[in-house]
Amino acid sequence: MKNKKHLFLIAFRQLSQRKRQSILSLAGISVGVMVLITAISLMNGLVESFVQKIINIAPHVLVSGEKMLPLVPDQLIKPGKNSEVNFIKNVYRSDEEVIKNYKKIMDLIEQDSLVEMATPLVGLNTIGKFGTTTLPVQLFGIIPSSQDKIEKFKKSMISGNYDQLERTPDGILLGTSAAQDFSAKVGDRIQIVANNGNIFSLRVIGIFSTGINDIDGNVYVNLKLAQNIGGYPPNEVTDIYIRVNNLKKDYLVADNIKNLTNYKAITWEEKASSVLALFKMISMIVYFLVFFVVLVAGFGVANVLITNVLEKTRDIAILKSIGFKKSEITVIYIFQGLIVAIIGAAIGCLLGYGMIEILSSIKIASSSSSAVRADRLLMGKNLWYFTFSFGFAVLVSLIASIIPARNAAKVNPVEILRGEK
Amino acid sequence: MNDIIIKAENVNKTIVNKNGGEVVSTTILPDISLDFRRGEFSAITGPSGSGKTTLLYLIGALDMPTNGRIFLEEKEISAMKEEELAELRNEKFGFVFQFHFLLPEFTALENVMMPMLARGRTTVKRAREKAAELLKQVGMEDKQNNKPNQLSGGQQQRIAVARALANDPIVLLADEPTGNLDSKNSENIYSLFEKLNRENNQTIIVVTHDEHFALRTHRKIHIIDGKIDQDIRTKEPGSSIQS
Ligand SMILES: Nc1ncnc2c1ncn2[C@@H]1O[C@H](COP(=O)(O)OP(=O)(O)OP(=O)(O)O)[C@@H](O)[C@H]1O
Ligand SMILES: [Mg+2]
Repeated sequence: MKNKKHLFLIAFRQLSQRKRQSILSLAGISVGVMVLITAISLMNGLVESFVQKIINIAPHVLVSGEKMLPLVPDQLIKPGKNSEVNFIKNVYRSDEEVIKNYKKIMDLIEQDSLVEMATPLVGLNTIGKFGTTTLPVQLFGIIPSSQDKIEKFKKSMISGNYDQLERTPDGILLGTSAAQDFSAKVGDRIQIVANNGNIFSLRVIGIFSTGINDIDGNVYVNLKLAQNIGGYPPNEVTDIYIRVNNLKKDYLVADNIKNLTNYKAITWEEKASSVLALFKMISMIVYFLVFFVVLVAGFGVANVLITNVLEKTRDIAILKSIGFKKSEITVIYIFQGLIVAIIGAAIGCLLGYGMIEILSSIKIASSSSSAVRADRLLMGKNLWYFTFSFGFAVLVSLIASIIPARNAAKVNPVEILRGEK
Repeated sequence: MNDIIIKAENVNKTIVNKNGGEVVSTTILPDISLDFRRGEFSAITGPSGSGKTTLLYLIGALDMPTNGRIFLEEKEISAMKEEELAELRNEKFGFVFQFHFLLPEFTALENVMMPMLARGRTTVKRAREKAAELLKQVGMEDKQNNKPNQLSGGQQQRIAVARALANDPIVLLADEPTGNLDSKNSENIYSLFEKLNRENNQTIIVVTHDEHFALRTHRKIHIIDGKIDQDIRTKEPGSSIQS
């Protein structure tokens, strides 16, 4: 049993004898593996590019003005003391969610060694007006120099000069979608209508395109101006964006902030959870369908083996009569399944590679309805797509081979050799 | 000199078949006892359906008796497991069948090598040399690289004989080896058997319908209805057999 070369040879010769059928089932495996690799690449490419973009240009942790717990009144009453607390309701915009004394909060946040940097923002829902176009627009007040460290606007500028924003108190930066919606270009003056009806006339100093539709629909101004538009005092902002230096520990940063400040802090995974969940579900459906393709290919392998066993009962009987053991007969047919699977899967890997190359080189019209815009399919490329697909196809074929191979071992040589043809 | 290498004791073979709903059991060999000596060339004859093939397969460990015991060189083969039987068939027995059962995908030489490779005890090189030698013995040295479908029935049967001899079997078993051959080819096979017995002292048990040939062997066992009807030793093992 040590040397299985002769078993392999028998398996191989029998397969070569039935060329057409063997090649057909081999092709089935190849196609299955190719489709599997392509699907994995496509789905992973989508998710990875999305995640990569988010990691690069979105805050890893986002702190917002929403209080996690009411600070009043139970926390003010020390247990066991019979003290009385007078709670005066804050009459100043209690419905707004703001971070008060944001500089102090930021100091607290930046003490965490996991935090790389933090930057304050004021986010407002406003109305934008340009020419005849009037549209609701999400406006953010930022500190341009530190905001750039998170959202990389400077790199994404398609016209204008990002640095100019800091020097222009009435400057406004447009995302490319927003610019398109208003048909505005650098140098134009856009009107922003605040909630209280005040109108601010702002000069477009640049247009950027990050590729993430959510961000590209926004407009950006200096923090002070936004506080002005929104009617916030200088020590109030609505959000703080944070970059961490270890992405795997972003949840620790968020937890820490929640504990320290009582403000709501969420990680990028939580923020993108609905999109990520959607991706996950689409992936599952695709993998499920592809799984069946490979399964059908496995049936192809089983089919070759079943016919081979049926047509080769005579040969099996001969092999048994010259001393081949049941286990050796089984191995012969398992080998047949494996030969078809391995060659088929290897070809499938090559085809899959080619498919990825072709698909990732085709230009497509970018769609603004997807989460991430791109001018071509974002295909993932990773060795594990190939090893996984290869392994999966071989495993399926191996399982498909077991029953026919066992039937082969069960052939009773006596009845066949007796020669009652 | 008369050492017994195969011994069958009260062997019974009954086959149970399920025919639709009812179970039909057929006794092919009711109770047979006989033994074979080393170097003996025996012929088993008898009418069709008398149980010759069944008996031969039992002796050669291809089949198991329902009752009774069979010994090969004092080891009871009727008590062995499937794995051991396979090894026995490989090492101790050589089979030749009525239909020249060769593996169609392999050349004559490779077919003869197969029993040697089965247990992996020899190297491929040694197996090839031995196979070539055996093919020479059966007069097929010039057909080494032919596939079975490029050979005549008689040629295929000689190669089957060479294959049966591959592992120097204790006993060569043949079931109507000339049943599918014309008289000239039949004569070739018979002479080959005689030569093997004479020159190598090869023990041979052959089932045949050919009464004339049966008389040329050392011993003629006639079977009717699974029972020994006649068992005559015409010559002593080792004595020359004249054609
Ligand atoms: N699987 C089986 N089921 C039922 N009956 C069987 C089976 N195998 C063999 N027989 C019967 O057993 C008897 C003996 O068969 P066997 O093949 O041993 O005869 P044989 O003497 O070799 O005949 P032949 O000269 O025709 O080859 C026959 O009647 C046959 O029909
Ligand atoms: Mg017979």
